[in-house]
Amino acid sequence: MESPNGPPPKYPRRPPRAPGEGSTSSNGDGGGAITADNSRTRGARERGGDAHETRPYASAAPASAAAGAVDVKIGIELPLSGADLPNGEPTLNGVKLALAQIPVPGFNVTLNVQDDAVNGVHDPQQGAKNIRTLVNDASVMGVVGPFNSNVAKAEIPIGNAAGLVQCSPANTNISLTKPEFGAGDLRKTNPDKIAYVRVATTDDIQGAAGADIAYTIVKARKAFVIDDTETYGKALSDQFVATFTKLGGTVIGGSSHGVPKSGQGDFTSLLSLAKKDSPDFVFFGGVTATGGGLLRKQMVTAGMGAIPMGGGDGLSDGAASVKGSFLNLAGDQGDPNTYMTVAATHDIPNPTKLAADYKAMFGAEPGAYSASGYACAQVILEALKNVGADRAKIRAYVTDPSHSYDTVLGKFQFDKNGDTTQRIISDYTFDPGTKDWKFVSQKDFGAG
Amino acid sequence: MRRRPGRGLLVPAVLVLLAILDWVYMGTEQFVNALTIGAVYALIALGYTMVYGIIELINFAHGDVFMVGSFVTYWLLSSLGFNGTISDLPLLVVVLVGTFLAAMVVMGGIGVVIERFAYRPLRNAPRLAPLITAIGVSFILQNIIQIFFGPSVISAPQVMDVQARVNLGGVDVSVVKLFVIAVAFILMIALQTFVSRTRMGRAMRSTAIDRDAAQLMGVDINTTIAVTFFIGSALAGAAGVVQVLYLGTTNFQLGFQAGLKAFTSAVLGGIGNITGAALGGFLIGFIEVNSTVAGFSRWSEAIVFGILVLVLVFRPTGLLGQQLGERA
Repeated sequence: MESPNGPPPKYPRRPPRAPGEGSTSSNGDGGGAITADNSRTRGARERGGDAHETRPYASAAPASAAAGAVDVKIGIELPLSGADLPNGEPTLNGVKLALAQIPVPGFNVTLNVQDDAVNGVHDPQQGAKNIRTLVNDASVMGVVGPFNSNVAKAEIPIGNAAGLVQCSPANTNISLTKPEFGAGDLRKTNPDKIAYVRVATTDDIQGAAGADIAYTIVKARKAFVIDDTETYGKALSDQFVATFTKLGGTVIGGSSHGVPKSGQGDFTSLLSLAKKDSPDFVFFGGVTATGGGLLRKQMVTAGMGAIPMGGGDGLSDGAASVKGSFLNLAGDQGDPNTYMTVAATHDIPNPTKLAADYKAMFGAEPGAYSASGYACAQVILEALKNVGADRAKIRAYVTDPSHSYDTVLGKFQFDKNGDTTQRIISDYTFDPGTKDWKFVSQKDFGAG
Repeated sequence: MRRRPGRGLLVPAVLVLLAILDWVYMGTEQFVNALTIGAVYALIALGYTMVYGIIELINFAHGDVFMVGSFVTYWLLSSLGFNGTISDLPLLVVVLVGTFLAAMVVMGGIGVVIERFAYRPLRNAPRLAPLITAIGVSFILQNIIQIFFGPSVISAPQVMDVQARVNLGGVDVSVVKLFVIAVAFILMIALQTFVSRTRMGRAMRSTAIDRDAAQLMGVDINTTIAVTFFIGSALAGAAGVVQVLYLGTTNFQLGFQAGLKAFTSAVLGGIGNITGAALGGFLIGFIEVNSTVAGFSRWSEAIVFGILVLVLVFRPTGLLGQQLGERA
């Protein structure tokens, strides 16, 4: 934050903070915040403010607070409506469960919830707006989210400039963290002070895991690959192509076929094209909202229902009974031949306890990322416990590679890029009995 | 109307030749795919071109009328308890005829209501005003659907067996696709006959050419324009039914992209021209499928709009231009 010179950062228009000013300023959008006083934030914007001020954040807050707990918040930045709701909600619930179970003495931790879905689909611009809202809420100490890689791309520079740490439960795109894939561009303001970590491992492993399923479990040798032309989908498909070819399989056409989401997800002519080369596996790099379910449905229409289809965690959005989920759209045809991978640990150290607690609180089974949301909250809460309500210190604590976290996901550290050292991918397949995804196996792709 | 002799046959001859070459290039299955996609675009494009022809309004809400049509179909079929293929042929015929009639009448009615309350009060206003209103109507339709059906993609019952195939010259072709193409052609021929042979059709043509003169000759302008909206919206409703039969999914944002493509079709063929709109729809279907076959699926939209730009640069009135005689 104390970048001494250079152009003023675009985003954190933080006002000089008068000592003794309350610590409960609120978000502007009134997300899920408990306090509803946003007058201070608004006033702050009017006054402008100097982003170079040495200590823009409320490290003085605990001291100035009266007796009793200090109010702090964890920001939530997830898609929470529309087609993306089945992704966002179980993750948010994981965070809520963590808050309910982990006491942080001296602090009263609440949430500031922001939804990045616009018209039902996650939206990078909305995500960027949300992060600015969270940055402007001085009581937010860390953020859990976002869910989607293209949203993260828009948010990381803002969080980096503001020094607000973000922990993503689900992002898997390689370019978000790894400098060799361009992550340096996302943290230009403070290249040495990363403010983004994630508990999910990266696509270069998830795409590889998909290829592993296709080659070793399905025993496919000839794959047809489609992507949705988005950051997440394209990277996933490219990695699938690379690994599948390396394992000895053939990819029809040699690369992935892009279908922009705006094309209404009409895959008919692409599938006719695929059919000519009789593939024994179809891989989709993308999410349900960008055409995953429609693709499976149209494969059946095109007489390709017997060909197994695989994808990444973008297809992991609940049982066939969840309206708008992949399995719901794939319809009765969502057959045992569909696979997907999740860059997360399925067999967490104590799964039954988490599931039972989750069920007791929300009356449902946890989602694929509930435990990840829980773990992100654990990381932020642990930093809060250790260094107090100071954004800069929390950021430094969380991103320090020497700290090890003992979470519901197991023990891990963040490396110097903010990636988890736990690199486990879980494989799932469709279970016709429960009409839901069924865990098949998980594989640790090791460090590096 | 000053056409050079022989010109009238040149364009169709070139197009037929291109179609045959394309058939050879990409094979029967892809050819049928292109016709199917094109048929949907063409059905929607007709509504754009008819409305533009008669009141020179680009009805941006028209794509959403198509979207609402698909939801009417979904609602009708699922509330009647259908949730999959109907194998009983007589029942299937009754359901199909009933669905098309219901969706077309309902959407036609909605089109008339939109015209009456959103466009008629602005008929003599500057042209920008109804254009903005049309965008407003588009948002209203999207939001109403979102409120009632939610923002997710919806899986709608496909009453026809989507896996059924017939053998055409050694190639298995999907029955649903052939049905879609047939429906589109029947509706287009019916429209052409209506516009060129009936009294109301003549009223539409005369209103399109000169509204004031038509009024002086005793044409009821309000009724004529309302009928135009009814027919255009009914065709979009039919396209909505087709969407459900063919792809079996819909969502509240369906209208934007479909509307854009259909509008492009109408412009490509020569906006205001009924034959042109149909032709433009099929052309866009063919361009899209061809770019997929050639391995450029990632670029199909860029190619479609690139060709549109080229056509407009060299032939600003579109491929068939505004043949005033056929304008409706």
